[in-house]
This record gives sequence, C-alpha cells and structure tokens, in this order.
Amino acid sequence: MTAGIRTSKPDELRVVGQPLPRHDQAEKVAGSTRYAGDLAFAGMLHARLVRSPLPSARITGRDAAAALAVPGVVAVLFGEDVPHNVVRVDVPGQAVEVAALKATMEVLATERVRFHGEPVALVVAETTEALAAACDLVSVDYEELPAVFEPEDALAGGAPLVHESGNLLGEWRIDRGDVDAAFAAAAVVAEGSYQTQAVDHAYLEPEAGVGWLDDEGVLTLRVATQVVEHYRDVARILGLPEARVRVIAPYVGGGFGGKEDMTVEPYLALAVWRTGRPVRMQWTRQESLLARPKRHRMRLRYRTAADRDGRLLAQEVDITADAGAYAYLSALVLLYSSVHACGPYRVGSVRLRARCAYTNNVPASAFRGFGGMQVVFGYEAQMDLLAARLGLSAAEVRKRNALARGDVLPVGQAIETEVLLGQAIDAVLDRAGAKPQPSGPRKAVGRGIACNMQSYGRLTWLNDSAAAWAGFQLDGSLSLRCAVPDIGGGQASSLAQIAAEVLGVPMDRITVHFGDSALNPLAGTTTATRQLLMSGNAVYEACVLLRDRVLAAVAADTGSPADGLRLEDGMVSGAAGGPVPLADALVTCRRRNVPAEALGTFFGPKGRPVVTSLHADRVFPDFTFGAHLCDLEVDLDTGQVRVLGYLAAHDVGRAINPRSVQGQITGAVVQGLGMALLEEVAVADGVNLTGGFFQYLIPTATDVPDIEAVVLESGEGMGPFGARGIGEPPVGPPLAAVASAVADAIGVRPTRLPITPERVLQCLAGPGPAAADG
Amino acid sequence: MFTRPFRFERAGTLADACAMLRRHGEGAKVIAGGQSLMPLVNLGLAQPEVVIDISRAGSGPDAGAGSGPDAGAGSGPDAGAGSGPDAGAGSGPDAGAGSGPDAGAREISAADGYLHIGALVTHARLAADPAAARLQPLLGAAAGSIGNPRVRNRGTLGGSLAHGDPAAELPLVMVALGASYQITDGRRPRQARAEEFHLGYLTTGLADDELIAAARVPVLGPGWGWSFHEVSRRDGDFALAAVAALVRIADGIVVESRVAAGGVADRPVRLADVEIALSGASPGEIGARLDGVGPLRGIRPVSDTAASAGYRARLCRVLVGRALAEASARSLAAA
Amino acid sequence: MSAESRTSAEIAVTLTVNGREVSRTAGAHLTLLRWLREAAGVTDPKYGCGEGSCGSCTVLVDGQPVSACLVLAAQVDGAAVTTAAGLLQADGSLGPLQRAFQQRHAAQCGFCTPGMLVTAAAALAGGRRLGRAEIRAALHGNLCRCTGYGPIVDAIELAQDEAPR
Repeated sequence: MTAGIRTSKPDELRVVGQPLPRHDQAEKVAGSTRYAGDLAFAGMLHARLVRSPLPSARITGRDAAAALAVPGVVAVLFGEDVPHNVVRVDVPGQAVEVAALKATMEVLATERVRFHGEPVALVVAETTEALAAACDLVSVDYEELPAVFEPEDALAGGAPLVHESGNLLGEWRIDRGDVDAAFAAAAVVAEGSYQTQAVDHAYLEPEAGVGWLDDEGVLTLRVATQVVEHYRDVARILGLPEARVRVIAPYVGGGFGGKEDMTVEPYLALAVWRTGRPVRMQWTRQESLLARPKRHRMRLRYRTAADRDGRLLAQEVDITADAGAYAYLSALVLLYSSVHACGPYRVGSVRLRARCAYTNNVPASAFRGFGGMQVVFGYEAQMDLLAARLGLSAAEVRKRNALARGDVLPVGQAIETEVLLGQAIDAVLDRAGAKPQPSGPRKAVGRGIACNMQSYGRLTWLNDSAAAWAGFQLDGSLSLRCAVPDIGGGQASSLAQIAAEVLGVPMDRITVHFGDSALNPLAGTTTATRQLLMSGNAVYEACVLLRDRVLAAVAADTGSPADGLRLEDGMVSGAAGGPVPLADALVTCRRRNVPAEALGTFFGPKGRPVVTSLHADRVFPDFTFGAHLCDLEVDLDTGQVRVLGYLAAHDVGRAINPRSVQGQITGAVVQGLGMALLEEVAVADGVNLTGGFFQYLIPTATDVPDIEAVVLESGEGMGPFGARGIGEPPVGPPLAAVASAVADAIGVRPTRLPITPERVLQCLAGPGPAAADG
Repeated sequence: MFTRPFRFERAGTLADACAMLRRHGEGAKVIAGGQSLMPLVNLGLAQPEVVIDISRAGSGPDAGAGSGPDAGAGSGPDAGAGSGPDAGAGSGPDAGAGSGPDAGAREISAADGYLHIGALVTHARLAADPAAARLQPLLGAAAGSIGNPRVRNRGTLGGSLAHGDPAAELPLVMVALGASYQITDGRRPRQARAEEFHLGYLTTGLADDELIAAARVPVLGPGWGWSFHEVSRRDGDFALAAVAALVRIADGIVVESRVAAGGVADRPVRLADVEIALSGASPGEIGARLDGVGPLRGIRPVSDTAASAGYRARLCRVLVGRALAEASARSLAAA
Repeated sequence: MSAESRTSAEIAVTLTVNGREVSRTAGAHLTLLRWLREAAGVTDPKYGCGEGSCGSCTVLVDGQPVSACLVLAAQVDGAAVTTAAGLLQADGSLGPLQRAFQQRHAAQCGFCTPGMLVTAAAALAGGRRLGRAEIRAALHGNLCRCTGYGPIVDAIELAQDEAPR
C-alpha cells in the first residue's frame, strides 16, 4: 500500500521530535559494538587481493606456484576460478541497437587491467602473516598498454580505448524553452568554468567482513555494506540460487556511498565457497584509498542569462565527468548532476549537455550527494557573478529566483511542496551577526552564502520499495524487523522512534533487527537519502496496521468504538470499562485470531524510465532545500584559509530526532569543507599517489569551527510525519560557500577545488577573475 | 596489517643495542618510540627480521620490569596523562630518571651553557620541560609542533634525529642552534655536529651499529631572541616549510643571527645569505634587507601531493620574514 | 613480569587491560592493537589506518594516549592499558564520559568513538578546565567522518561540567 504525504500536528507528537539518545549509542560508547572486522571464528582463514600496479596493461602471464608454496596458504584464485567472473551494471537511458547498454567488469581481471589497483588474484591463507608473504609471490606479468587519463582526451578521436565499446560511457541532454532567444534578450550574461576533484569517502572503518557457510549450507556474509541486496550479485557470481546466499550488515563504520557497490563481498564469498571454511577479509586503509571508487571529478561550464532585475532567463550548462576505468554508477551520478544542475532556482530556458568518459584512472561511483554536489560549485558561483554584475546582494538574487510550489524544474518535474529557501537564507544571515574582523594586518575576512537542493529517495523509475515487519511480544515489548543497513545515520534508531510514536511503546522496550537479507523484510539500499522515506514509511505502515488490529480486537471485545481507542504508554485507553493493559489486549487478539504483527510495504512514487534526452514528470520523489553561510579568514602571505564560523539551515520537513538531524548536518558540512579546502585524490599518469592518511587529508577537530545547524520544519516532506531526507543535502553548499567567502575576502573567486593555500595565492597574484583557475 | 613475523630483542642499554645491531646485521631495525618505523612496517615498506627495542634502555637496573612499585604514575583510567615533567613516568620510553651507563639517555640536564637532552626523551616531555623552556625555548616550540599528542607521547628525540625526515622539526632546530650529537657504538663515543650529520633524505651520518645517545644544545645566550614558524596543511602534518631563527641585537643593530629552514631541501639548511644580509641591520631594516636577498641559496624544494616546489619556496620566504620579526622582538625584549 | 630479553619470534607479554591482568604468548611482531584485538579479545580499539594518523586505535598506556598500531605489545610489557571499555563503571554501566557522549549524540557510526573516549579521558584527567578550543586541540589527532566534531566537543564539555569538583 502506498501512502501519501504524512502530516501531523507537531504538538501531538510525543516521541517523534524528541532529542532522545539513539538506541545504538549505549553499545557504541561502551565499545561493545561489533563491526564487520570484530567478529572472529575458530578455524577462520584470511583473504587478501593482489592488485595491478599499472593503470593499463595486458596480463600476459600468471603463476601462483611460489605463493602456494608459502606455509599456511590454502588457495590462490584467478579470474578463471570464478564461476561467473562478471559484475554487470545497467547503464540507464543509454541505448544500443538491440538493448539497454550494460557495462561489465570482472571480479578478478583475466586479460586486461584498466586501473592502478584493479584486483587480479585472491589469496587465502591461515594467517595474515602468510598472506603478507604470499601476496608478494603471486607472479603476474604485464605488458603495458597505452592509456588515457583525461576525459576530454578519452573522447577525442584516436584515443586509446579503455573499453572496446568506446570511451563514452553515457550522456544526458536537457533542452527546454528557447535558450538562444533568452541569451539574445538578456541584460547580463555570466560565464564561468569550474573544476571539482576526486575525493575519497575516508570512512574510519576500512572495508571488512567475515563469511561462512551456515548449518544449511547457506553462504553467509557479515560485511560492512550499505546494500544487503548484493546477495543477489554474489549468488550470480557463484552460480548459486539467490535463496542460498545471505548478507548481514552489522553497524557500519561509515559508508557515504563508498560501501554501496560491492567491496569485499564477492571475494569473501569466493574464498568461503572454495574452502568451505570461515574467512575474514580486511582491506587496508592504503588499499581503500588506492582502489575504491571515488567522487567524480567534473569540469563544469556555465553560461547564465538574466534580466536587469536579476531574474534568470536561461542556463547553458556543459558537464564532463571522469568515470575512471569502470562504469559502476557513473551514468546515474551524471543523471543526478544533470537534474540538479540549475539549482533551487526558477529558469525558463535550459540547454544542458553532460557526458562521462572512461579513463584509466581509479573508477568513480557513489558518494554522498551523488553528482548533485559538484554542480553546486557551479550554479552558486554563477548566482554570485550575476549579483556582482547587477549590484544585488547574494541573498537577494537567490530569493528572487528561488523555486516555489508549482514551479517546474528544467527536467520537467514540478515542485509540489513548500520551499523554505528564503527562510533558510534569512535564518543563517540573522544568526550569523556581523562579519568578524581580521585578526591582523595581513589577514582578510570574507563571508559567503550558498544554497542548494538535493533529492531524497531514489529515481522514480527504479520501482523502489521497502518493507518492514512489526510484532508484539507477549509482554507488550515490540520487535521490528527491517533489513535496512545502519551506517551511522541512526537509520535503525529512527525506526524505533517512529514505532514508539505510533504504538505507544517506550523506546527501551523496542528492538530493531536490521540489516539481514534472509531474516528481515528487504528495505533496499541505505543510499540516496532514502531510508527515512522508505523504511521509515514502511515501519509507519506496519505499525499503523498493527495498531489498528489491536484496537479493533479490543473494540470488538469491549463494545467500544475503535476510533475512540488509543495506544499509549503500554495501555489501550478510551475503552468503556477503563484502560486495558497491552498484555491483556494481546491475549484478546489471540482469542479472536487477530495477529499481533503486521508487514508494511511502502512503494516509492513511480515515473517513466529516462532516455538520454531528459524530460520527465517526476524523476525524484522530492527534494530538500537549504542555505549555508561561511565566515573565513585568509592569510594573504601564505594563502591559508581558516574557517571562523559556519551556519547551515535546511528544511527537514519533520525532525524525527532533532539531535540526529543536527549531527547529520554538521557531519555533512565538515565533509563538504574537507572537499572545499583539503582533500584531493592525486592521480598522475593513472598512478594514484594518495597512498595513506598522511597524504589524504580530511578535516580534524582543529580544522573546523563549531557548525551551527538550523533546522526548519515545513512538515511537507514525503517521509513519515512529513519528514524530508537530510543525509546528503548539507554536503553540497560548503563548496560554494567557501569559494564565495574567499572571493569576498580577496576579490577573486577560486574556480577549482580544493581551494589550497597555493591556489589562493595564485588567485591573489593573477591578473583578474578570469585567471582564477588554480 | 599484513606483517611478516619478526623477532624481538629488548636492549637494556644502548651498548647492548649496538652489539645486537652488529650481531644481526642488515635485517635488524632499532625501535624506540616507533612513530617512524611502525608505519613503514605496517604498510609492508620495511620488513625487518629482528626489531631491537631500546625504549626502556637506561631506565633502571630492571630495564625490562616496568610494572613494579617503581613504575611511577599508576594505572587505570585515572592514571592521569598530565603534561608536566613527570608525565608518563612509567614503563615506556619516557620512564624518567634513569640509572646506569645510559642514565643520560633519559634525562634533560644543563651544564656549562649547554642543555643535554637524552635520545630517549619523548617530544611530549621535551615540550613540557621547564628547564628547556627557560634555557632554550626553540626546543619546546619545535617538539610541541610534532604530529599529534599520541605521536609526542612515544616519539623520541633520538628517533627523530636518526630518521632524518627533511621536514622534521627537531633536526631543523638542532641545525639552527649549532647543536651536536653524542653518538655511541657501544664501544667508543663520538660527537657529530648536527649540520654535518644530516646528509640527505632519510640519510644521516650514523653507521649501521651506532645510535644517538644525546644531543648537546647551546642554551639561549643573553640578548638573543628566537622564533619558530611552521606551515602545514593541517596542524601537526608534515611541514610544507619551517624556519627556526635566532637573532641577537646589540646597540640597535643585528650583530649575530642563525637562520635555518626545513622542508625545502633534502635536509635542514642554514640560510647563510639571509644571515649575511641581516648583519648590521636595525630592526626596522630587516624587512628590506630580506627583500634584497635573491632566491634563497641552498633550498631545493620538491613538489608533491601537498604542495608545489614554488609554493614551498615562497612560503619559506614568508616564514623567514615572520621568524626574523619575532626573533628580533624577543631579542630587544631580552636586552 | 619482564619480557625475556632473548631473540624469539613468540614472546610472553602481560598487560593489565582495563584492570584485569592478561598474559599471552604470541607473535613478537604483534602491535599492541593486534595483541589486544587478536590475543586478548579486546576489540574496542579499531584498525583505521596503520599509520597512527586516524586515532581509532588510541588506548592509554600508563595513562598516556598512544596509537596502539604503532607500539609493539612487547615494548610495553607490564604496563596498564585502558581502552574505552575500561571507562565503564564497576557494575558495567556507562561511566560519566560515556553517558555524556550518549546524551550529546557524539557517536554516529561509532567507529572513532572508542579512540575519542580514551583521548578525552586523558585530556580531562589533568583536572584543569578546558575550553572548547582546548578540547578541539586535544582531539585533533582523532579523525571523525560522521559528526563534524561538534557533538563530541559538546559531550566532553558536558562531562567536564558535570564532573564533581
């Protein structure tokens, strides 16, 4: 059953909206939570990958003899040892003559390697010490092949082919209105080129997991993952029925999209399947930095036309993204970029061309924001350019163009809910107070604001759904079963809070069984800021069904009208004859053959599949809007940037747990600041130079100030109680807020990320804004 | 993570450690604080056969005991990290007052215008030592900038000097100060001047069976001012450039200076052309004199993922200017 | 109990871990982190990088925060080691610092949390009142990717405010 938008009067809610401690916090602060790498089995083996040292090569020979001779080594697998050595990825909207385009990659490379770090062999041994010796002894001969490292080069004629099908992985177009006429009529045209870099998820928990065969011979993996549904991919790789593979996701030590594609799953499964024994796989941090897919580097070109009042007339956008060596989710990421490319603003005419190309760089795939983040750097810069040209404030130009209910996005989807963008801008400006003074004569302070919109919920044509089961125990305590992976955003705890609200059960009498593909109803991926919408609504459905069943049973038993009964504080109240303890009501249910359990399924909104030329009534379920403000100080001699203060305001619809929401916002902002100022995956001629955390720098506690999260609640989200998703949206604006603030401080806007001290000095030294490219 | 097994030998004295080095040859590595060696081991970049632990050398007749009543500051959650001279008195490399032939390796003492700092003194202890702060503040400023608190709790002076990272803070100030190192091979001690000891990237004048026992550092003389400036991408990261400067102003002009830079060559470099340019300048003229110096001789910065060579060179000049201004101000105040 | 000063690939190490004496004979090459996790079954310190950069492996050795991944267990034989679990009360309930983390939502994914707790405990053990900037300075070697640090600073401030004088 699909439910519509849920609204409730906020003052009627007793549990939802309370900053309760999350139910997983006690174990986490006690140190007793067992993550994927914390479980050990007697007789457990260890597995490790051998990876390509070259970005592009033919494999001319492989020999495992020396490795197998190391004491303790149990097996060495190459691609030919994999029953079905292929992972297939749908590339949406891109058609070939006969069918939809599918991209493939091998589990273990057999004939060719296409990026530095690509897996070539899997070694399984009794100890990690044996692995340390054996992996160096797996002999692989390579013949280097020509390679290409820039998407523009890859798309030029005569470029070395990364894949035989060609280097163009996918492209999207949006055409709306009459762009040329709009430019001709414009009072001002602003142009800009922007570059964003590849960044790494840098979750604190490197990829890990344990696999074993259970007593029924079901291949079971307990892995740090955002997607338990990968059991299907594992089954396909091993040639097993899907019902014979199970994936368990324990609490994950951070995901952010980096554990959305399979990581250790296929290799663990292979090792278990081959040896029949439990196996553990733990990737090193260095391996993770080297070879895990990154956020797409993008080159963005914008031309923006506006009238003399600063109202947008047209946007012309060109996006080129580096997909790296394998497709993963690149086409979808670029789709998100395309749909979000014009930001939270009304614009009548749009021409967008976006493409992603294969290169021999480390692949790129999902990362919080999923393409919606990079474009913020472009469209917000354009708004500032317009403001400067027309003498408007940054706030005013944004408010004049802000989307409102009824406006239609360039892709064709109408905004159906209230948009609190203006209120968010006002909220951050009001709370920010006066701009700080510089701390010395060779310092400059700047302030910047930036807005964004980011979808929540998956693409509508993916037929998304989530299910959850709720059941009372005999004593009135509650069990929830929902296979949602919990990656730290309180995904499981939110479900408990929703159930507590609907069923009147205290939080400490609710257990959430989550993240198990075999034992829990499937809830889909913990990605795309979708879980509150999807599993939250599914739990809501299940609990409403369950509540109604119990109340109906009591109503029939007592002769009271059902709509006068309520479940609260472990009692059924409102019945003639006084309150009925829940345990007694459950006895009544059993007597009357009423199940004290319910399965709820929530189906996401539907839409037509997209084609290359994007036009759809509904691409995403809904969007979250926000505005940020950044104050920073620039050292004019060294170029160093120090963030002094930061505010982020988002309309979250309804905050199920305000402290959780604030934590999502502050965490996302700091990730954004890291991408704005510090982080870069440095690849030179396809060789990934960022080999460790001493090189890949993420923000520490002294690199960022207190982030003030301002939570607005319109009540108009599509999630339970009117909630909107908040996991991804706050990660985008920092890129632009920082660039704007630097521009305010030094008079030149950086157009390339990260904004390093060196690039700041180049901006200061350059002849003008046009030369701001770092 | 994936480490091949190795054997472990604990050396009760530095002389024992030198003998072990001779016995085991190339496959042996010495460990004190482990902050340089262990990342290499963990990443598979160093694969020793034997690791010789000197972290408890010279810590008493029972150089391996550690957990008896002499172990110092207690145990458990209230053990109290502290930050004074008694910080971490216990069983680590920082076990405080030593005894026997290596007593000096764990101590900070002053005599005859010099500070003697034992090679096993941790950065945390050096940064907090009151005598060092009073007599040669450059040491604490440098030590306190190293890494993060965990690094400083274990990392040792000897370890940092022997490792020879061109961006390291302590080799830089040793060169700036004209310090010398007491080196032992267990049989004969020798002295080496810091400036001649640091030879290149991760390369020093230590023979395969030698260890640094102590550094001998001139105290800050009357009328001298000092300064230490470092820029890195984040606090505690490897320095993109660092400058240590000492200036003595007398009768209104600079009569002596020592200026050295780190992170801009394969070893710390004295900026002789800066020192020459400063000579005879009044404090107000220092900036102009510095501007008149062409490209700094002796610096050969490299480009890497953190910064380009050009930026490092430019940063070095900025830091020299700041360090000279600060050192001059301190010199005037000391008068 | 001293580690035997002989050349051996396996070595006997005794540590007092969270108040409990643990003796194991295991590979001499084991870092303190691996010894705790694999030999002693204490899994709250985590492997995050192996470089000493992330702080997930932070434990107290005789009261001082160290990167357990950069210390060989044999080096600290006889020492007292405290992990986050060692901050629990005698009856197993959460200690005051842990309760403050819970109340201020200082753990999201929770992976950095044991290291943060131990670092915070050491910072507060000095007895001096720390301002927010000093709290941040004490945490600066402990990486977190989920919270943005604010909630952790809030938690430490709360614990400090509530500590008996």
